[in-house]
Amino acid sequence: MRRPSLTKTLTMSAVALLGAGLLTACTAEDDGAEAPAGDVELSFWSWVPEIEKAVDTWNAAHPDIHVTLSKQAGGGDLVTKLLTANQAGNPPDLVQAEYQSLPTLVSNNVLADIAEQAAPVKDQFADGVWQQVSLGTESVYAIPQDAGPMMFYYRADLFDEYGLTVPTTWDGFAEAARELRGKDDKKYLTTFSATDPGWFAGLAQQAGAAWWGIEGEAWRVSINDAATRKVADYWGGLVAEGAVSGQPMYTPEWNKALNDGTLLTWPSAVWAPAVLETSAPDTKGKWAMAPMPQWTAGENKTGNWGGSSTGVTELSKHKDAAVQFATWLNTDPVATELLVTGGGIYPAARAAQTGPALQKPPAFFPEQADFWTVAQQAADTAAGVTWGPNVNVTYDTYRDAFAKAITDKTPFSGALDAVQQATVDDMTKNGFTVAA
Amino acid sequence: MTKARRRGTHKPRIAPYAFLAPAIVLFTLLVLVPIGYAAYLSLRKVKVSGLGLGRNARTEIFAGLENYREALTDGDLWSGALRVLGYGLVLIPTMLGLALLFALLLDHPKTRMRRFTRISIFLPYAVPAVIASLLWGFLYLPAVSPLNRILAELGLPEPNVLDTGSVFYAVANIGLWGGVGFNMVVLFTALRAIPPELYEQARIDGCSEWQIATRIKIPLLFPALIMTTVFTMIATLQVFSEPVTLRPLSNSISSSWTPLMKVYQDAFARNDIYSAAATSVVIAFLTLVLSFGFLRLVAARAFAQERS
Amino acid sequence: MTTTRKHSRGSWAVTVPLVLGALYCLLPVAWVLVAASKSGSTLFTSFTFAPGDALADNVAELSAYRDGLYWRWMANTALYAGGGALLSALLSGMAGYALAKYRFAGRAVIFNVLLGGVLVPAVVLAIPQYLLLSKVGLTDTYWSVLLPSIVSPYGIYLSRIYAAAAVPDEVVEAARTDGAGEFRTFRSVAMPMMVPGLITVFLFQFVAIWNNFLLPFIMLADDGRFPMTVGLYTLLNQGATAPALYSLVITGSLLSIVPLVALFLSLQRYWRIDLLSGSVKS
Repeated sequence: MRRPSLTKTLTMSAVALLGAGLLTACTAEDDGAEAPAGDVELSFWSWVPEIEKAVDTWNAAHPDIHVTLSKQAGGGDLVTKLLTANQAGNPPDLVQAEYQSLPTLVSNNVLADIAEQAAPVKDQFADGVWQQVSLGTESVYAIPQDAGPMMFYYRADLFDEYGLTVPTTWDGFAEAARELRGKDDKKYLTTFSATDPGWFAGLAQQAGAAWWGIEGEAWRVSINDAATRKVADYWGGLVAEGAVSGQPMYTPEWNKALNDGTLLTWPSAVWAPAVLETSAPDTKGKWAMAPMPQWTAGENKTGNWGGSSTGVTELSKHKDAAVQFATWLNTDPVATELLVTGGGIYPAARAAQTGPALQKPPAFFPEQADFWTVAQQAADTAAGVTWGPNVNVTYDTYRDAFAKAITDKTPFSGALDAVQQATVDDMTKNGFTVAA
Repeated sequence: MTKARRRGTHKPRIAPYAFLAPAIVLFTLLVLVPIGYAAYLSLRKVKVSGLGLGRNARTEIFAGLENYREALTDGDLWSGALRVLGYGLVLIPTMLGLALLFALLLDHPKTRMRRFTRISIFLPYAVPAVIASLLWGFLYLPAVSPLNRILAELGLPEPNVLDTGSVFYAVANIGLWGGVGFNMVVLFTALRAIPPELYEQARIDGCSEWQIATRIKIPLLFPALIMTTVFTMIATLQVFSEPVTLRPLSNSISSSWTPLMKVYQDAFARNDIYSAAATSVVIAFLTLVLSFGFLRLVAARAFAQERS
Repeated sequence: MTTTRKHSRGSWAVTVPLVLGALYCLLPVAWVLVAASKSGSTLFTSFTFAPGDALADNVAELSAYRDGLYWRWMANTALYAGGGALLSALLSGMAGYALAKYRFAGRAVIFNVLLGGVLVPAVVLAIPQYLLLSKVGLTDTYWSVLLPSIVSPYGIYLSRIYAAAAVPDEVVEAARTDGAGEFRTFRSVAMPMMVPGLITVFLFQFVAIWNNFLLPFIMLADDGRFPMTVGLYTLLNQGATAPALYSLVITGSLLSIVPLVALFLSLQRYWRIDLLSGSVKS
């Protein structure tokens, strides 16, 4: 007989593993102290870097309300996971929700209306930001956490080298782009990325676009309105003539391009310094920040890219306690300080925008003393946004349509029409009332 | 003899069912029932009323075959299906040919460095998908690709494999790289099951290894080869992770580049599990037809070693 | 006893194609190794295959992340993969043996239905499995990942084909004639002969579960139960506005390959077991 002990070994290992698994499964409750009976246990899904520090601070000060953080992956994946969990009846009490996903979550009965409990803090936030969590209605579905007003980042040293002036209008930007290509055909002023619909949405907001609106009991969808068309055709023209690149952002190649000066500027948002630090470490101190180029000289408008909030789920059994935590997290000076230094976010609470963490310019922009002043101005003037109930469909179609337009070299307004059509079709198919 | 001989009695055999029971129970609970549920979902859809923001604005209703009609009339789905067929025609023979070659070479008595090559070829299977985009980004994107750098040094033109024309092969390459080791190990295991007496005699008689391989080993491997082909075929028709890996890096891959990508988009990005269910039923059906058709064709060889 | 093939003269002609294949397969893995040795600041700036000297630092940084959460993830992964693969090999072995060595009503149907399981990809099954498991309150537990991982139609097929080839009917008959019960026959006679096939099933299922993402992603809410795949994914996707922790993810991926390589190396000797020739009349 060949190794009869092998069977025994295998069986014993199986039993051991199963036993260990069962044991771990049964006892693997949360690490850390169990909250005493009678007190409130809250579960919180978030992705913000180092938010655990803020949660720990809360737990130390509030033994009666214990928050257990579970760090998830950010973005669209979390929405799906949340929707599925909600459908099964076991969502967490608190969730980190990006602004554009709020209508989807509300539409799926995930988030509770916390207007009553949140009323006291409403005036701590700018109107544009509050609109994103109230969806333009009387209800409030989340407490705003951070904001992403957009501004313009450029390589000051390379601008000097190539004799370019910092553009204050989009016409000036186009001129600078062509000028740069004329001087060095290996460099681009920037890239238009088909993989980042949020970026494009922010630029469209700056031009005055309002993709979704609520008119009475119906949705109005106008993604291809005049303002957005203007923005789309502007960029489409630049890409087609080769004045700007068409490569996607957030790839190894894009990181390298930022680092070695192949791309000279990045129209981005207030949270860009941390990303630049990771992607383009060699360029520290060489960048500068300015307000975004305008469509009309002398104006001072900008849009939003990103930003998230803290929501309370409808199925939570401790809504009041949850709102208490959410409010503390996003308005308390200690909490917002931790979020800024650890998570690298720009707080939406106005008082926190002048907090101690924001007294010095970011580490990556040591020369720019007025960084946060300019940022706050941008935040104050950032356009309000109403997001629709199927932003994910819009964003998904955007990626496909604009990528195709770049490779096929067709006008971007055609791609924009495709996005509008897909969004409207999806809403009608699901039964939403869409104004004609 | 104290035990009576059982030969000749027709005692009903429960043994095979007992051996199969755990697998069948788990399979039913965790595969069949979810499939049934998915099929059920494919006949439903969500109906929203008005703005959809109120408490009970959303209900699930019966949709009949609407999801199927939409799936079947979707041009993107069919062009994706066609693309996947072409992908299969390119990838399957290449992958299985190489896997067979490597397995035979590993079984060759005179091969050196067996351990190194065996584990190296298996290694791609061990690389986690979470970093695939990063990994292949570094190897494919022109600005950071070592291949481009070498070509540039040699003064040759630098290709961008992620352009529309060549992205197909870039994806296929990832599939090949990831799958050849797996199939090689399967075929190698099957080779190991062949009693060496069968070809020791041939060796003594003076047959070359090549003859042994082609006349003895490969024919005996037919069952393994056929089923490996079927499984590879099914996996290829379900190709999903490789194009998804390259999607953030390239403007040439849409969200429905392959049929399963469309299912994933529907289920996980558009939160439309109903369309996803319908599309996946369609895909499963087509895969079934293709693979069982293929099996029918080669049925006789598939289980040659068992009495049928 | 194992017959070892000792050869004084190897042949390069047959070795070269294998080596070429090996190098092709190793190239991306080499990238992971090289990239993990670079510090974050040189990852995107240096030549892709130029090695760095920061491997130890990266590992230390990874270990420090949230007090060693990565190692907890690795332990979870070992549990899911080890437990799941072991049970899968056992179940598949029994099922394959039954399908190969017995003739019984429904054999073809059962096999075809089991095989049909391959037709349904994880993408489609994930959400329905979650909803069904949540009805029995099993979601966000270790079982929610283990149970679906045990089912392996491919493993059953592999076991069947191996049982058919490696377990001669005569041996089974001989055992039966000696009065052994069916299960005893399986355990003492057939299973040892099926070991290389079972090891293959174990290895494949181990790797598949080790690298599985979608199932644990949907099933698990508590990040202390995440396997490495989901854990590293959260590091890579820290939200749209925060930088990805590239170095940590690459280092974590490299470290996750190491146990798989060790497993493969240690299981290799089971593939060298030759078949019994003693009790079979040739």
